[in-house]
Amino acid sequence: MERHHFEDELQVLKQRLLGMGALVEDRVHQAVTALIERRLGLAEQIAGGDQEVNELQIEIDDRCLKLLALQQPMATDLRLITAAMKINADLERIGDQAVNIAQNVIKILPQPPLRPTIDIPRMAQITQSMTRDSLDAFVKKDAVLARKVLKRDDEVDQLKDQVFRVLLTYMMADPGTIERALSLILISRNLERIADHATNIAEDVIFLVEAKDVRHHHEERVTP
Amino acid sequence: MHELLKSFRRGEPMIWFTGSALGICILMIAGLILVILVNGLSFFWPQRLEQVTLEDGSVFLGEVVNREAIPNPGQPDHLKRQRILLRLGNRDLYGFDFKWVDEDQIQKREAPPDVYFVERREYGPLLGTPVAIRQGDKDLAGDPRAVPSMLRELVAKAGRDREAVERIEKDEIGEINQQIEQARLAARKLDLVARHDPGRDLSRERAELQRVTDEQQALFQRKTQELSALLEQAAGSFVSFKAAGGREKELRSLDIYRAYPANQLSWLWRLSVYGSRLWEFFSGDPRESNTEGGIFPAIFGTVMMVLIMSVIVVPFGVLAALYLREYAKQGALVRTVRIAVNNLAGVPSIVFGVFGLGFFVYFVGGGIDRIFFPEALPTPTFGTGGILWASLTLALLTVPVVIVASEEALAAVPRSMREASLAMGATKFQTILRVVLPAAAPGILTGLILAMARGAGEVAPLMLTGVVKLAPELPLDSFFPFFHLDRKFMHLGFHIYDVGFQSPNVEAAKPMVYTTTIFLLIIVVLLNLTAIVVRNRLRRKYQAGAF
Amino acid sequence: MSQEVGTVPDTGLRIKTEVKAREAGAAEIRDADIVIKHVNLSYGENHVLHDITMDIEDRRVSALIGPSGCGKSTLLRCFNRMNDLIDDVRISGTIKVKGLDVNAAATDVIEVRRRVGMVFQKSNPFPKSIYENVVYGLRIAGINDKATLDEACERSLKGAALWDEVKDRLNESGLGLSGGQMQRLCIARAIAVEPEIVLMDEPCSSLDPIATVKIEELIYDLKAKYTIVIVTHNLQQAARVSDRTAFFWLGRLVEYGPTADMFTKPREKLTEDYITGRFG
Repeated sequence: MERHHFEDELQVLKQRLLGMGALVEDRVHQAVTALIERRLGLAEQIAGGDQEVNELQIEIDDRCLKLLALQQPMATDLRLITAAMKINADLERIGDQAVNIAQNVIKILPQPPLRPTIDIPRMAQITQSMTRDSLDAFVKKDAVLARKVLKRDDEVDQLKDQVFRVLLTYMMADPGTIERALSLILISRNLERIADHATNIAEDVIFLVEAKDVRHHHEERVTP
Repeated sequence: MHELLKSFRRGEPMIWFTGSALGICILMIAGLILVILVNGLSFFWPQRLEQVTLEDGSVFLGEVVNREAIPNPGQPDHLKRQRILLRLGNRDLYGFDFKWVDEDQIQKREAPPDVYFVERREYGPLLGTPVAIRQGDKDLAGDPRAVPSMLRELVAKAGRDREAVERIEKDEIGEINQQIEQARLAARKLDLVARHDPGRDLSRERAELQRVTDEQQALFQRKTQELSALLEQAAGSFVSFKAAGGREKELRSLDIYRAYPANQLSWLWRLSVYGSRLWEFFSGDPRESNTEGGIFPAIFGTVMMVLIMSVIVVPFGVLAALYLREYAKQGALVRTVRIAVNNLAGVPSIVFGVFGLGFFVYFVGGGIDRIFFPEALPTPTFGTGGILWASLTLALLTVPVVIVASEEALAAVPRSMREASLAMGATKFQTILRVVLPAAAPGILTGLILAMARGAGEVAPLMLTGVVKLAPELPLDSFFPFFHLDRKFMHLGFHIYDVGFQSPNVEAAKPMVYTTTIFLLIIVVLLNLTAIVVRNRLRRKYQAGAF
Repeated sequence: MSQEVGTVPDTGLRIKTEVKAREAGAAEIRDADIVIKHVNLSYGENHVLHDITMDIEDRRVSALIGPSGCGKSTLLRCFNRMNDLIDDVRISGTIKVKGLDVNAAATDVIEVRRRVGMVFQKSNPFPKSIYENVVYGLRIAGINDKATLDEACERSLKGAALWDEVKDRLNESGLGLSGGQMQRLCIARAIAVEPEIVLMDEPCSSLDPIATVKIEELIYDLKAKYTIVIVTHNLQQAARVSDRTAFFWLGRLVEYGPTADMFTKPREKLTEDYITGRFG
C-alpha cells in the first residue's frame, strides 16, 4: 500500500463517522430509556440539543469534500466517501429524531403512564439494533448483514401500525388519554423514521460493498 | 521484371550494394596484409641451398628466391622460358649476391649435404662448406669431418665473446667516456665563468676536474687492456670455408653470428633458426647499412616518440578544446579559431617539418644551447634535430585531431548533467573536472587514438627534425638524466624508406622492407588496441556520451 | 457499539493526538522561507514574469501550477540562480531565501545553490557510482572524510526511500537504475548536503504512475525537514501533494492560498476555469 497519507485520511474519516454513529445511537437509547424509566432529567438533557452531532456532521462533510477534491478517489474509495456523506446525513437525522423523542417524552412524563407501551420498547429495541447493525455492516463491509437490516424495516412498520391501532382504541375509549396517546404515536413515528434512516444506511453499505444500488427495489431486498 | 522492381522498392539492392562495398574494402585490406606477411615472414625461413651446374661449367650455390618467365619482347620465345633467381651470398668473393639463371641452361641441380649458410658481420651471408679451423697456426680440427661439430661450439662461444666485448666497449668504456666528456664540459663551463668573472678563484674546481679526468683515463687504460686481452683470445680462431666454384674464404670466428647446414636441417631445427632470426630481428641492432641485423632501435625510437608526442598533445589539445568549448564566449573570434584549427589538419606534413626545423630546432634549440649548454658549443646539444623536437613537431601536426575530437566529446556531454552539477553548488571548474571531463574521456581517447595512428605513420617531418639512418645510442639509457631528449633516434617509417630506397643492395634489402612494415603495423595496432581497451573500460564505467 | 448510558463513547470522538496536531499544524501560518517581492524577469524581448509577490512558507510543500509557458519553471529557477545559465536575462525585484538576497551583487551564487537543492524534470544522475552520486555535493564542498561521507550517503538514501533497494550495490553505476529509482537518487543527492529548501521542477513527469506515487509519498515525508517548492503541470498531483498552491497565468500570479481552498473554492474565476478544465 503506497498512498499512506490518503489511507490515513480515510481511516480518520471512518473513525469520525463511527464516532458520530456511536454518539447518535447512544442518544436514541437515552431518549427511550427516559421514556421507559420515566426520567425527566435525562429527557431534558437529550432534548437540550445536539450541538456535538451537528458539528460532527459539518466536520465529516468537510473532510469528504476535501478528500474528493484533493485526492481524486476512484472505485471503492469513491463509493466509500459518497457513502460516508450520505450516512453522515442519515445519522444527523437520527440525532434529530432522538431530540424529537426526548421532547415528546417531556410532554408525557408529567402525567401517569398509559398502559400498553410494550410495543414501543420493542420498536425501540429493533430500531436500535438496526442502527447498530447497519453501522457494523459499514465497518465490516458486510452486505449480508446490511440486507438483514433491510428486512427488519417491515417489522418496524408493522409495529408502528399496531401501536397506532392500539392507541386509537385507547383514544376512542377515553378522550383523556388523547394527549399522551398522541405523543406516544409521535414517538412511534420517530422510531419508525429512525429505522428508515438505518435502512438508508444499509442501502448505502450495499452500494459501497457490491456497487449495486438497491434503493426502491423491494424485490431485490429479499434476495440475499 | 516485376520481382526485380519489387525487391528494388523494398531496398534489397541497397543491402547488396553496401555489403559488397564493405566486402571489397575488407578484401583490399586483407590482401595488403597478406602480401606483407607472406613476403616479410618468409624472409627468416631457412631455405635449402641448391647447387646448379650450368652448361658452360660454372657452378653456383644459393637459395632459390624467385622464378619468372623470361621476357624477350619481339622474339617468339617471349615469356616462354623460365629463369630462377639465386641468392649466392659471398658478395666479397663475387661482387654481387644475386644471379638470374636460365633454367634451360642448367645441366645439373643438386643439394649438397654439407653446405653451410653463415651469417657474418660484413658482406652479407657466406654460403659454403667449412673445411678447416685454426687457432693461430694450430689446426684445431684435424679431420674435415670433425669441423661441423666444432663449428657449433665455436659459434656459440663467439656469441658469448661478442657480448663480453660489447659489455666492455659499450657499457664500461662508454661510461668512462661519458665521465670524461662531462668533465671536459664542466671545465669549459669554468672557462666561461672565468671570462665573466676574472677575479674569481676557480683553482679548486679545476683541480677536482683534473683529478676526475686522470682517474677516468687510468680506468680507460685498464679497460682497453682488458678489451685487447679479450679480443686476442676471442679473435684468435679462424674458420675456412670453400665456396661453390672452388674459392676459399677465411672468417674470424668472432665475426660469425650464425651458421647452419642448410640441407641437413630437421623441421625442429628450422623452426628454431626461424625463431631465433625473428627474435634477433626484433631485439638486435642493425648491421651492414641497415640491410641486416635487427630493428630494435627503430622500434624503440618509434614507440618512445609516439609516447612523448601523446604526452604533449593530449594536455594541450584537451585544454585548448576546453577553452574553446567551455570558457570562450562563442562569437566570431572563436569560430575563426576553430576554422583555423580545422585547416591546420590539412596542412601537408612536410610543412610541419620545415616549421619544426626552423622554429624548434634552430630558434628554440639554439636558444637553449646558448643559455644552458654554452660550454658544448659550437657542437649543438638541442640546437640540432632530436627526439624532443621531432615529438613536438608531430604533436603540432596531430593537435587539430585531438582538439576536434575533444570538442565533440565535450559537446556531447548532456546539458542536464552540467546543470545538475551546477545546481549542487559546484563551480564551473569543479563541474568540468569532476563531471564533464570524465564523461568526455572516451571521446578524448578516440582523439588520442587517431593522433597516435597519424603520428606513428608520418615520416616526412621527422626527417627534418631528428630521425637518422643509424643512431649510435638509444634516447633512453641508464645514465642520468636517463631520458636524453636531445639525441637523434631511429624510426620504423624512415627505416622502411631508407632500407627500401637508399640501400646499396636493393635485392637484399627488399625483404627487410616487408618485415619492417610488419613490425610497424604491429606497433601501431598494439598502441591503438591499448587505447581502445582503455576507452572501452571507461565507456562502460561512465556509460555516457555518443562515442 | 457502546451501550453505556449517559456517557459519550470513547471510540473515534477523541481524535488521535497526532492527527489533531497535524491538522492543527496544517492550518497555521509559518515563517516565510522565501520572500518574493515584485519580481519581473525578461529573456531578451520576452517579458516572462510580471510583478510576482508571494511568500513560501517554511517546511511546507508549495506547488506552482499553470499552463505551459506561464513562467512557473522560470520562477523556480530564480530561487537558485539557475537562470544565470541563460544569456540575456534581466531580473528586477527581490528574492530573499532565508533572509539572503539571492540576486545581490555581494551574494555568492555557490552559497545560494548549496542551500537550495534542485531536482530536475528528467532525472540526471552523474555517470558515476551510486555512492559517488550521493556524496557529490559533499565532495565539492571539500568534505572527503570517508566516515562522514558514508553516514551522509546512508542517511540521504534512507531519506529518499532508496536505501533498501541499493544498499548492496553502492558501487554500481547510477545510470543502471530504473527511472523512478534514478529520480529518487537525484533527490538523495539533493538532500545529502542538507539544504534548507528543495526545488522540484516537474519531478514526476517522466515517470510511470507507480514511481510517481512513490515520489509523492516521499515528498510527504520530506516536508517534515525541508521546505519544498514543486512545479507541476499535473493539477491532481498538486492537489494531492501540496499544502499551498500558487496559480500562474501568462507570467502573473493569479491566486495563491491553501491547497484545500484552492481546489474547493477558488477566489478567482480564472483559477476556477483552469482547475475545472474550462478556459475562457
